Amino acid sequence: MNWESAIPDVLTGDATGVAAAPACASMDSEGFAAFYERSARPLWAYLARVSGNAALADDLLQESFMRFLCADQPQDGEVGARRYLFRIATNLLRDHWRRPRSASIEDISPELFQARDQSAACDSRAMLGLAMKTMRPRERQLLWLAYAEGYSHREIAEITGLASASIRLLLFRARRKIARLLTDDRRVP
Amino acid sequence: MRLGCALEKEITGLLDRGHWPEACSDELRAHVAGCRACRELVLVKQAFGSERIKAAGEARPESPGVIWWRAQLRRRSAAMERIEKPVLGAQIFALAVCLAATVYLFSLARRGFDWLAWLGELPRVLHFGSLLSDSAGNSPWEIWLLISVGAMVAVMGGLIVYVASEKR
Repeated sequence: MNWESAIPDVLTGDATGVAAAPACASMDSEGFAAFYERSARPLWAYLARVSGNAALADDLLQESFMRFLCADQPQDGEVGARRYLFRIATNLLRDHWRRPRSASIEDISPELFQARDQSAACDSRAMLGLAMKTMRPRERQLLWLAYAEGYSHREIAEITGLASASIRLLLFRARRKIARLLTDDRRVP
Repeated sequence: MRLGCALEKEITGLLDRGHWPEACSDELRAHVAGCRACRELVLVKQAFGSERIKAAGEARPESPGVIWWRAQLRRRSAAMERIEKPVLGAQIFALAVCLAATVYLFSLARRGFDWLAWLGELPRVLHFGSLLSDSAGNSPWEIWLLISVGAMVAVMGGLIVYVASEKR
């Protein structure tokens, strides 16, 4: 096999007939553009609000879509593709958090993330923004996926890699915590 | 331990469809007012829903064409890397063989060994004597001529194979 036939034509963006990299064959450039238009903003919102950093959200958004295009995409339609995209983004967030120190996401204190939040755009004055800053990163992820994106417990388990049985309890606790922060005046700036 | 309320699913559906609170029954509204779990659900769901809309408005994503093009480039370089890996291995192997041969020849030369003597033995070893006339096999320049022709054939053969594979 000639090696050039195994490599897609970059300039034309032709992904058909690619033997060595069949991952993108399921989505052509026009299909991707439509999918991107529908899912880029919600994904950015997730990344920005969970990380508390707009610049980081920009970077991870691009990287998420790049990895999505280069990977084997799920065959269960746009819903599945979107869920897969959120999973990639969640993994990238986790990798980012693990980079400064080799620790579990649960071991990283919320103060670390507060200190990094230098983006004026993300420094929301809204009650939820302030409440979110006091939550642990994992809690933010769960809350956003459940109440902003509307994912079920099973889907959240698939995206985050947590056990499906533990999602219900974790989510219940996180919801109780943020509801208390939203209703009380005990918000931490 | 019971987590939440049995009506949470129904209330979530109403919130998702935008039917809360106007398009729902008085009983359900009364239940939410008295149920802590449902009250929290409504509060959190409404807060996250409006935050999602606000955050999505702040997003400034790149054009999809740029992302697509970069992904193609990344795939291309990954494919190139996959292809070049065995070629690099072959080059390293060839280099190692050449180095080993050079070291071996130098060690022979240092010991004063006549390391070109084997060339003189070549016609006898390969039975070239049957191809040449009786007198021809004995003159050294004819041996060198034979070796040159053989080398030329090898080089030309390699070139032909290379050109043919490039065209294909």
